[in-house]
Amino acid sequence: MEEIIFLKNVCYSYYGKIPALNDITLSIKRGELFAFIGQNGSGKSTLLNIISGLIFPDSGSYSYKNNTIDEKKLHDKNFNQQFRKSIGYIFQNPEVQLFCPTVLDELLFAPLQLNISQEEAIDRAYKVLAMLKIEYLKDRPVYMLSGGEKKKVAIASVLTMNPEVLLIDEPLSGLDPKTQTFCTELFLELNNAGKTIIFTTHNLELIDHLQPRVSVISENHTIEKTCPAAEILSDESFLVSINLIHEHLHRHDGEVHKHNHTHYIFHKHQ
Amino acid sequence: MINKIPDFLLVASDNFKQSGKKEGTNTTFLDLTLHKIAQTAKSIYIQAENTSKSSLIYTLNPYVKVISLIYLLVINSIVSGLISLSLITIFILILYIIAGINIFQIYKKIIILAFFFGFLIFIPASLNIVTPGEIILNLFSFDKFHRFWIYNIPQNIGITSQGCIVVGRLFLRVLNSISFTLLICFTTSFPKLIKSFKILGIPDSFLMIITLAYKYIFILIQTIEETYFALKARLIGITNNKNLRKLIAGRIFFIFKKSSINYEHTYFAMISRGYDGKIILFSDKKFVVTDLISLLIIISFGILVVII
Repeated sequence: MEEIIFLKNVCYSYYGKIPALNDITLSIKRGELFAFIGQNGSGKSTLLNIISGLIFPDSGSYSYKNNTIDEKKLHDKNFNQQFRKSIGYIFQNPEVQLFCPTVLDELLFAPLQLNISQEEAIDRAYKVLAMLKIEYLKDRPVYMLSGGEKKKVAIASVLTMNPEVLLIDEPLSGLDPKTQTFCTELFLELNNAGKTIIFTTHNLELIDHLQPRVSVISENHTIEKTCPAAEILSDESFLVSINLIHEHLHRHDGEVHKHNHTHYIFHKHQ
Repeated sequence: MINKIPDFLLVASDNFKQSGKKEGTNTTFLDLTLHKIAQTAKSIYIQAENTSKSSLIYTLNPYVKVISLIYLLVINSIVSGLISLSLITIFILILYIIAGINIFQIYKKIIILAFFFGFLIFIPASLNIVTPGEIILNLFSFDKFHRFWIYNIPQNIGITSQGCIVVGRLFLRVLNSISFTLLICFTTSFPKLIKSFKILGIPDSFLMIITLAYKYIFILIQTIEETYFALKARLIGITNNKNLRKLIAGRIFFIFKKSSINYEHTYFAMISRGYDGKIILFSDKKFVVTDLISLLIIISFGILVVII
């Protein structure tokens, strides 16, 4: 598979003081399902911001399809448009991602900014609404949606761009189990359809469901390990060492005992 | 990871003891204000829900509504006859009935607004000092005519018939303007209404700013409502205005900071979806037969009123 994203020795800090990423070197291939896992504050979202060209590394380089992405490059209107068309970003908090008057406007925003004709944009919007079964929300103002609906609209608003790469920050956060299942299945289908999907999570259950290639970001903001999901999930001591699983108290059949998190994968009763 | 629970939490609590003595809690001004703000959020929700009705006025193209609004407001300003203005009032009332809006509830609010802004303010215009004419109700009499600087104060001060007509005209104009504007607001969702201002040549970027500001108000109201509930739950109704003011002042900075972070993220979201400084908004300019017929009726009515 062709390499689509390449980061080399990327470092980033907030206000030049708070380190967020430290010496990240990474390569992602076209059509890959890829995940960044790590605890809160490890720098996962910052990494997605860099990949989407919203912020730029303090040092090191990032290239997308062999084009180095920096501020200067994105000032080129044509390149910027092609780049934005190619990478869709679904933010963790759909509240901030949705800013248009109605759901339909939200779905049409990206295609219209990217000079796709109004007819084509409307056609795409209706097809995506139908796919996500949210046609009934079409004329609803976004502030009147539930959490799950907002997430679906946020996904839909990016899909109308038909991006080649989908960046998803914490895909399941704040969603009820039914919407979580819906999103998980959707991401698998989109990946099967050829989309490159890159997401961040600290939910090991999601990693088990999607079986992506995984990069583990440590609390030192470096990549600790990059390997297939199965390998990561089977390495319990490694997950303990990076604080993604830990011992906790648990009640079963009236009995309180201790074992490692998470239930789904590491449920071992003593 | 075992938490070390402090001793006091291990003691069984029995806080729910009724003293038998009944004492009322004061509802403070700020308490009431916050409650009202929360109610506003709900009314916005109700307004938006109402606009999704399927009756004629609700389904009209927002562009038609905005054109009608501007047209009727201009007509309302041009015509000066009380009969013409009353006809406009009746016409708007009929539109309210067609829209299925509770006219008693809504006109209660409209008349209060019109009373303040269209009657009380203009009452002096009914006096012969402002509008000369035939006095129909004498209010005050001097022993003679007075001249003060540039003012001529007549011997008798009273309400004139011409003054009544002027006040009546101004009252009806204000009443009509408020009632028709509210009708459009109640029957059109706010986002659609904002977008329809495109017809006035307002640029998309400006409309987007209004939309974002509107969204911000809603988020702000929601945050304030949540803060209000949180305070209410923790203060158990025993706080006074002074303490509440202190607490709220602390929250204002928090809300400001939170909104500034949110809007940085929103800006990122816009950029990642192709925003490069210029916004193109979708506008549905498709007019159906009912839109055209409605527009024709409004225009004809306007002409009729002017002729009368």
